[in-house]
Amino acid sequence: MDKIYGFLIGPGAWIAFSVFILGCICKIGAIILATPKKDRVVLAYFSPKYGFRSLIHWLIPFGTISMQENPLFTLVSFAFHFCVLIVPLFITGHVVLVETFWSVSWWTIPDKLGDILTLIVLLCLAFFWGRRLWVKEVKFVTSWTDFLLLSLVTAPFLFGFIAYHGWIDYKLMLVLHVLSAEILLIAFPFTRLIHMFVGLLTRVYIGSEFGGVRHVKDW
Amino acid sequence: MKIKTLILIIAFLGLASICLGQEDYLILGKEFKSPERPRVIFHHDLHNEKAHIENCSVCHHVYKNGKLVPDESSEDQPCSSCHKVHPVKGDNPISLREAYHKRCMGCHLKEKRGPVMCGECHKANNEKKSK
Repeated sequence: MDKIYGFLIGPGAWIAFSVFILGCICKIGAIILATPKKDRVVLAYFSPKYGFRSLIHWLIPFGTISMQENPLFTLVSFAFHFCVLIVPLFITGHVVLVETFWSVSWWTIPDKLGDILTLIVLLCLAFFWGRRLWVKEVKFVTSWTDFLLLSLVTAPFLFGFIAYHGWIDYKLMLVLHVLSAEILLIAFPFTRLIHMFVGLLTRVYIGSEFGGVRHVKDW
Repeated sequence: MKIKTLILIIAFLGLASICLGQEDYLILGKEFKSPERPRVIFHHDLHNEKAHIENCSVCHHVYKNGKLVPDESSEDQPCSSCHKVHPVKGDNPISLREAYHKRCMGCHLKEKRGPVMCGECHKANNEKKSK
């Protein structure tokens, strides 16, 4: 198990981060380059005012009418996105690994806080799973790819949580944690996970398109 | 009489085996006031025997002007005499945490032997033993 772990944090990490970084750059580049061909109108009539106003509103919790109409979803969504970024970037275990290999380190959150934030991520994911399974209008537009995406995100957090607490088999859980996290990174450029970067562009695009239109049904 | 002697011999052997069997260990990381993970228990002699390390300078190295001085050893000093918990300007830039992980984990990965996962060294019950 130690040898598998050694591979995963060595060559495995190189492969995962290379695909993640290069893949995301290519994907973002392709989208930007395709825009003038696919939608000439949007660039000709682009409105920075409505575009960036929309982006700012969507970055603020309850900053849009859609969010105000769905308070529970807004709360869960913001809690999820905040924790899902903070935990992997600032958990001590990750920073120590980078420090050991690269001699670069940064600020970390206490492990106990990381534990709570991970639990929030898992609870939010349970909410998303439940929504896809049982809410009628969401179920209607759900395909197996949505469950695949949820599984990709759930796995590293779940295995990381179990490993941190030393439950079941520590070594196996840690290997599964790193392996599933690397699969998640590799999947980024090829799945809707790319919304982490592209979401900002599409929000400005939609904001510019819609201008001052309000009360749009937006799930 | 014979039985008494036998009991005494057995008791002596038992006691001796307990005393000799108890290996001294070091608690690494005492310099960290409130560490995030439990401090590490390190069986110095047992480790070196298993790893076939006879040269102290493998771990207790000496660097001068950023260059390793071969065959010179710093075995009389703890790691923290050069590697500070929070290095400031002028100190060795490699912090104590970084030095420990580089030395232990780096070697274990290179040699493909020994613990490499966080929880293999930072065990929850280590804290009880270190008090």
